[in-house]
Amino acid sequence: MSLPLSPFRVLRPRDVEAALAARRDHSASRFLAGGTDLIVNLRRGIGNPGVLIDLNGIEELGGLTCSERGARIGTGVTLATLAADAAIRRHFAAVSEAAVAIAGAGHRNIATVGGNLCLDTRCIYYNQSEWWRRTNHYCLKAGGDTCHVAPQGQRCHAAFSGDLAPALLVFGAEIEIAGSAGRRRAPLADLYVEDGRAHLRLADDELVIAVHLPPNPARSAYAKCRVRRAMDFPLAGVAVALRADAGKLATLRVALTGTNSRPFLLEGTDALSGRPFDEAAAQQLEKLVQKQVQPMRTTLASSNYRRLVAAALARRLTTALTAEATASR
Amino acid sequence: MTTTGTHSRLRAPRGVPLIDGVEKVTGRARYTADLEHAGALVGRLFRSPVSHGEILRLDVSRAAALPGVVAIVTGADCAHTYGVLPVAMNEFPMARDRVRYIGEPVAAVAAIDAVTAARALDLIEFEVRELPAYYNATDARAPDAALLHANKPGNVERAVHHAFGDVDAGFASSDLVREATIDCAEVNHAQMELHAALAEFDPLTGRLTMQSVSQVGFYLHLMLARCLQMDESNIRIITPFIGGGFGARVEVLNFEIVTALLARAAQGKVLMELTREECFLTHRGRPQTTTHLKLGMKKDGRMTACQAEVVQSGGAYAGYGIITILYAGALLQGLYDIPAVKYDGYRVYTNLPPCGAMRGHGAINVRHAFEVLLDRMARELGLDPFAVRRANLLKAPTRTPNDLMINSYGLGECLDRVERASGWRERLGKLPPGKGLGIACSHYVSGAAKPIHWTGEPDGVVNIKLDWDGGITALTGAADIGQGSSTMVAIAVAETLELPLDRVRVIAGDSAITPKDNGAYSSRITFQVGNAAIDAAKALKKILIDAAARKLSVSPDDIEYAGGTFRAARGEQPALPFDQVVKAALVDQGTITVKGTFTCPPEAQGGKHRGGAVGSTMGFSYTAQVVEVTVDEATGSVSVDQVWAALDCGHAINPLAVEGQIEGSAWMGMGQALSEETQYLKGLPGHASLLEYRFPTMAESPPIDVQIVESHDPRGPFGAKEAGQGALGAFAPAMVAAIANAIGVDVDQLPVTPDRLMDLLVERRRRARRDKLRGAKP
Repeated sequence: MSLPLSPFRVLRPRDVEAALAARRDHSASRFLAGGTDLIVNLRRGIGNPGVLIDLNGIEELGGLTCSERGARIGTGVTLATLAADAAIRRHFAAVSEAAVAIAGAGHRNIATVGGNLCLDTRCIYYNQSEWWRRTNHYCLKAGGDTCHVAPQGQRCHAAFSGDLAPALLVFGAEIEIAGSAGRRRAPLADLYVEDGRAHLRLADDELVIAVHLPPNPARSAYAKCRVRRAMDFPLAGVAVALRADAGKLATLRVALTGTNSRPFLLEGTDALSGRPFDEAAAQQLEKLVQKQVQPMRTTLASSNYRRLVAAALARRLTTALTAEATASR
Repeated sequence: MTTTGTHSRLRAPRGVPLIDGVEKVTGRARYTADLEHAGALVGRLFRSPVSHGEILRLDVSRAAALPGVVAIVTGADCAHTYGVLPVAMNEFPMARDRVRYIGEPVAAVAAIDAVTAARALDLIEFEVRELPAYYNATDARAPDAALLHANKPGNVERAVHHAFGDVDAGFASSDLVREATIDCAEVNHAQMELHAALAEFDPLTGRLTMQSVSQVGFYLHLMLARCLQMDESNIRIITPFIGGGFGARVEVLNFEIVTALLARAAQGKVLMELTREECFLTHRGRPQTTTHLKLGMKKDGRMTACQAEVVQSGGAYAGYGIITILYAGALLQGLYDIPAVKYDGYRVYTNLPPCGAMRGHGAINVRHAFEVLLDRMARELGLDPFAVRRANLLKAPTRTPNDLMINSYGLGECLDRVERASGWRERLGKLPPGKGLGIACSHYVSGAAKPIHWTGEPDGVVNIKLDWDGGITALTGAADIGQGSSTMVAIAVAETLELPLDRVRVIAGDSAITPKDNGAYSSRITFQVGNAAIDAAKALKKILIDAAARKLSVSPDDIEYAGGTFRAARGEQPALPFDQVVKAALVDQGTITVKGTFTCPPEAQGGKHRGGAVGSTMGFSYTAQVVEVTVDEATGSVSVDQVWAALDCGHAINPLAVEGQIEGSAWMGMGQALSEETQYLKGLPGHASLLEYRFPTMAESPPIDVQIVESHDPRGPFGAKEAGQGALGAFAPAMVAAIANAIGVDVDQLPVTPDRLMDLLVERRRRARRDKLRGAKP
């Protein structure tokens, strides 16, 4: 059986403004899109919103346009639609590859871009039933005062596990946010904070309505490490976008997910451009990754493994894309 | 595939779809949770929040006062233990003085709905004085460890010490002796259907009707009578459609008894449905096992001796534990010809959910260790892994040193088949980097030849009813848990009577209607119930032939029977069709009921040594499996590219079902080999969902080439043996051998998750660097 959900009302606004108004009217409310993350958590007694604001009827969130001039992806676009879009595949391969690697086919049919970007952080001590968490005296992220992953520390280490974010970060994606004060655009990177308990820099009455990608001349790819090749969240996910010329890297961007409380762009990759991506460069890249990821025991797989595999995937993707770029010359 | 004997597969040479298959795939089949439960109360369990403790206070008064709560039961309501072996029933349906694992049932409520039941649980007050808790066998066996059960010093539930043949002489005469310590993580059945029970107590008659997911309706019947102190005749057990067992329901489970207790307390009907988390807490899976193994071998691959020390971390209660630790030793034998075997097994109590029987019960982890070490030794001696196994084949009929009876033995043919099908000789050593091939074997019993509760009754009983309509109804107490046992019974009856399958109906698993059956465990149904079904069908055939003889005024010996028609061997009389003979048979008699039985003879029931009955069987199935893998050294991930599995099941009564069972076994073995494991965080199951308990998805599922080998067991029904478990055990060792073949890394642990393999790869790189540095120095 499934445990009973706490009762809630569902509101179905027809446009973004109505959704925001509903959010303002009901302090204990949540936006609902695909529900593949939210409903599972509610079923486990995580949160008790009382009101769910269903975004699925809002036309504005649904658009997807993509060409060599860039892309605009509405946050209501399903992952299945995104994964199947030929233009996205052509111009932003990493996004396509990340989308198709998320969960299972059934999830992708209803799960949305916005849901994946705003995915709650995950931890083996958090994504458990109410009974389980109560038995464990709750945790810093929900209802308790100790992080069971790092009991001495003051912060929550739950890991961000969305696959799309890194694939968008490597293209310098911006997001469009609607709120009481109107609409604003911000770099996607600024949405995230390294804090498992409050990892989104988004006001209560704000809604991410679209992702904007600038024109992209780079080659890109996404790879995800997990125990099973479907269903599982990333133990580490790596997106790479690069340009290479005559075997030399012109630009290199690497972004990671699954290892920290936020997805992030790897720093220091500029040092690798203007050089061939040889063994020394590959080792340097691996060191950068190993230094900047901070996997903790938030999963049943070891954290050291996640560190190593993140680095190995970054090397693998960069090697393959460099070779591809060189071959196509 | 060849057909042996006189039993032609007239109707469908490749076999038939399961007779209940259409109902299942169309969603028409009703499982326990789908049953009519209008008016049923919702039952929920209150579970221990601590791993080990003395119960100081349990107060349910506030919960009982909540409107909508109809009944509450606690450990105080049942002072009777339940369990498997009469000597080892040490578990109460709800804890009484002590709790021994997180999640152990302590109390239960029946309320008008799920929300009320959940609220009531929150109102239960529970105080415990905590005791030290142990989450692995080593800690539990430490000299100063607190005892989980006062009568079990060292927290050892059972130590088994068996020796057959002269092991020391065996090792002394060998050319190579090697040892290995192999660790297999605990796994769970993760059957699709969640546990559920629907109990209805009728206050007017004092009768209880119980519908449950049980594989063992008869044992459920016994335990309910014991725990509720009811007369057995007042209890009726019905097993509706069951969504998988794999051993998860092969012992009576606490929630089943509690549901019945609640129904009686509420004087009504209670439905208890468990969540997936609760299924993991109920557990009864395969225990974490550490096997220290030593094998002796001659240069030609001939084995001289085997010595094994096995430690199983069994969880908090006995359950099937004693049988599991005995199986682990007994089934070292029966697969190969080994002159000397010494076995020391320790079943240890820990503060975790109790382990139990799981597909390939007792055999899997020890077989894994054995095959892995065998493979390594073959490599060291420069022998082909097939050759080393062929050097140790048994010759049927024979008896093993521990007195297991073997009348049929198709392992040699299994080896031949998978060697050919996999292209082993052409491909081994010529695969691209990162790819490898491995082979391993396994076997399993076709039913325990001695039942758990000795009664003197036959091991299998089937009734057949024939009525005026010409319909044949076979009645069996055997639960069809998806393995196809009802289809097997239908085929056995139809084949024997040479009638179309659709003339036979099977009614299974209702204690008020069907004859008692011990249940779906130890792969006993095909051999024991199948033989009983044939026996019953023969009895019916005799009645019909006698009726035809009367009608044709000839002697029964002169009746020729074929495909449902009866004719006199001599004379010009026209043949009698089936319906006419049925009508003739019913004259003066009315409805015909016949019974067939099967009893395992004493010579099948194992040796005289203590525990000798465990492992004893009428026949073993045999498997050889080749697994091909690709290993990604950068990520440590292993992909299974293809599997070739051959199983000797004696005779495939339903080849389609056998094929499905072999695929399912290989697949389940793959789960344990690649990714499945339970992981407790201070006693809490970190793996308590199907997201964290990682059984393979479609993405990991390889093509499985199935070869059915038929050795025709002289005592099997049509020559058949078991087909549902034997093919599991060979997968993991074949995969580990394939990994070694692919990248030269020997893995000592299951499952081979990417992080485990990465640790080994890192270690190897480190070693290589060290060796290089050392080599560079003068």
